[in-house]
Amino acid sequence: MTKRTKGDLLLDTGVYLFLIALGLMMLLPLASVFSKSVSEEWAITSGKVGILPVGFQLDTLMQVISSSLFIRAFCISVGVTAIGTLISILMTALTAYPLSKRKLPGISFIMVLFIFTMLFSGGLIPNYLLMRQLHLINNLWVLILPGMISVFNMLVIKSYYESLPEALEESARIDGAKTYTILFRIILPLSMPVIATIALFYAVGYWNDYFGPMIYINETALKTLQLYLQDVVMDANSANLTNKSVDDLMNMSPEGIRAATVVASTVPILLVYPFMQKYFIKGVLIGSVKG
Amino acid sequence: MGAGATELNPKSRAAAARSRAAGKWRLAWRNRDYYMLLIPGLLFLLLFKYTPLYGVLIAFQDFNIFDGIRGSEWVGLEQFHKLVQSEEFGQVFMNTLLISVYKIVLLFPVPIIIALVLNEVRLMFFKRTIQTIIYLPHFLSWVIISGLFVTILSTSGGLVNNIIQWFGGEPVSFFVSNQYFRSLVVFTAGWKEVGWNAIVFIAAIAGIDQEQYEAASIDGAGRIRRMLHISLPGILPTVVLMFILRLGSVLDAGTEQILTMYNPVVYETADVIGTFVYRIGLGKMDYSFSTAVGLFNSVVGFILIVSGNYLSRKLLKRGIW
Repeated sequence: MTKRTKGDLLLDTGVYLFLIALGLMMLLPLASVFSKSVSEEWAITSGKVGILPVGFQLDTLMQVISSSLFIRAFCISVGVTAIGTLISILMTALTAYPLSKRKLPGISFIMVLFIFTMLFSGGLIPNYLLMRQLHLINNLWVLILPGMISVFNMLVIKSYYESLPEALEESARIDGAKTYTILFRIILPLSMPVIATIALFYAVGYWNDYFGPMIYINETALKTLQLYLQDVVMDANSANLTNKSVDDLMNMSPEGIRAATVVASTVPILLVYPFMQKYFIKGVLIGSVKG
Repeated sequence: MGAGATELNPKSRAAAARSRAAGKWRLAWRNRDYYMLLIPGLLFLLLFKYTPLYGVLIAFQDFNIFDGIRGSEWVGLEQFHKLVQSEEFGQVFMNTLLISVYKIVLLFPVPIIIALVLNEVRLMFFKRTIQTIIYLPHFLSWVIISGLFVTILSTSGGLVNNIIQWFGGEPVSFFVSNQYFRSLVVFTAGWKEVGWNAIVFIAAIAGIDQEQYEAASIDGAGRIRRMLHISLPGILPTVVLMFILRLGSVLDAGTEQILTMYNPVVYETADVIGTFVYRIGLGKMDYSFSTAVGLFNSVVGFILIVSGNYLSRKLLKRGIW
């Protein structure tokens, strides 16, 4: 290697400073909210909490996560995410398989039917009226059924299937294996990396969805975590949303409660994030535009 | 095709076409297992994607929910006249374009810079840590991000206003300020996605032939020159492609994001097509007008993305489909 010149040193300094600044910018809001959720009440109300906690208490967080509204919303979100992800990944992986057989008659036309829906949609109101006709308003299935297959995700899985060596299927067929046996015994097990990635994307999508529940769910008992969180974040009187007697919350500022609710809703994502990281970069690259 | 194929007379050519068609059906029948697998997906497509396209007809009606599409009065293009003449829509359209153009101009280059800069980092541990941190916001919901920024921008003890006051400034209520709201929208969109969007460019840099760097190095090119003359041109096709794709969604200024952040005080600067469709349609129950606005949005979006793909195929020989 050539020895480092002055220019290199300057470049390195710039590079590291830039990246550290970028990283801090991403972390500071998170750190600040976390600090507010665990800081002492007087410190929050007097505006003393910056990046680091002032004092330490878990009462606010405990209050928030033991509130019956929070628990219900949390459970609904967990249920919708689990069932939705299962249905989505199953439907997507199964539909992608025949579509990867481009030589079969009619398949390319069916592909066009799928891709067209990526480019053109009926818009909000026609969709809303359809859900209304199907009696899906205020029904949790509305959060799963209309979006159960993402065509984009399907294309990712399809191109993965296409990249598998054809000889595998041919030799299985010579051994007398039927289509479904091949799919479930050979293709799906071999595609686990991409299926895991796409399942993660679906799960994050269901967990984070706000638009769907906001439009189709207005019954309080069916609110998802994101809807509940939005109420708390944007409602100035967030204290009365925690469903506790006023006495309980006398010493808690709306600021603290808001911060604690944000933290409690972020933690599930933070917990699975390290496991996801292994997969998602691969997924993005398979999915990124190909020739 | 055998040699005999060229000698076929018209009659037997028709017969050949027929038998080819029959052959297709036979091929399909032999592979019926595959088509069976398509049935659930096709039913989904028909019910949830194509049925709403029929519902678009109400854009040409004065739709009444009790009469349905069949019973409602047809008004032709009246809703679209209303749209063109509506001052409110003009404002909404301008807001959409402004926010989108700000987002493209200010945020599109950032992931490219991040990728180029990350490529210069030799400490693998540092590189991986930074990547972990900057991809994270992508996985947080807009509601959570709103919550984060409401907290740090709060006028009562929020981090940012504390700093402003420390420098002797007046606290700013960013969320209810028509002056700052658009900047807030652009900044938070960047906060969420710049790291994630860099992945494509990082991969493109990784795909550049290492020999080019070595050759340049022997010719005496320093790291900055290698970055500007090898890395940057190396990812240029990807940059152009991503840019064309981005332009295709210019009418989506971030509906879900704005819905979680805005309030009536900032409608003037922050109401965009997506939020307008929602407010008019589900808030004021003006179904037909809202559908007309949505249809306008869909048609323009469709034209943009199809021509973008065409352009990309012409220029770069690759596209999204």
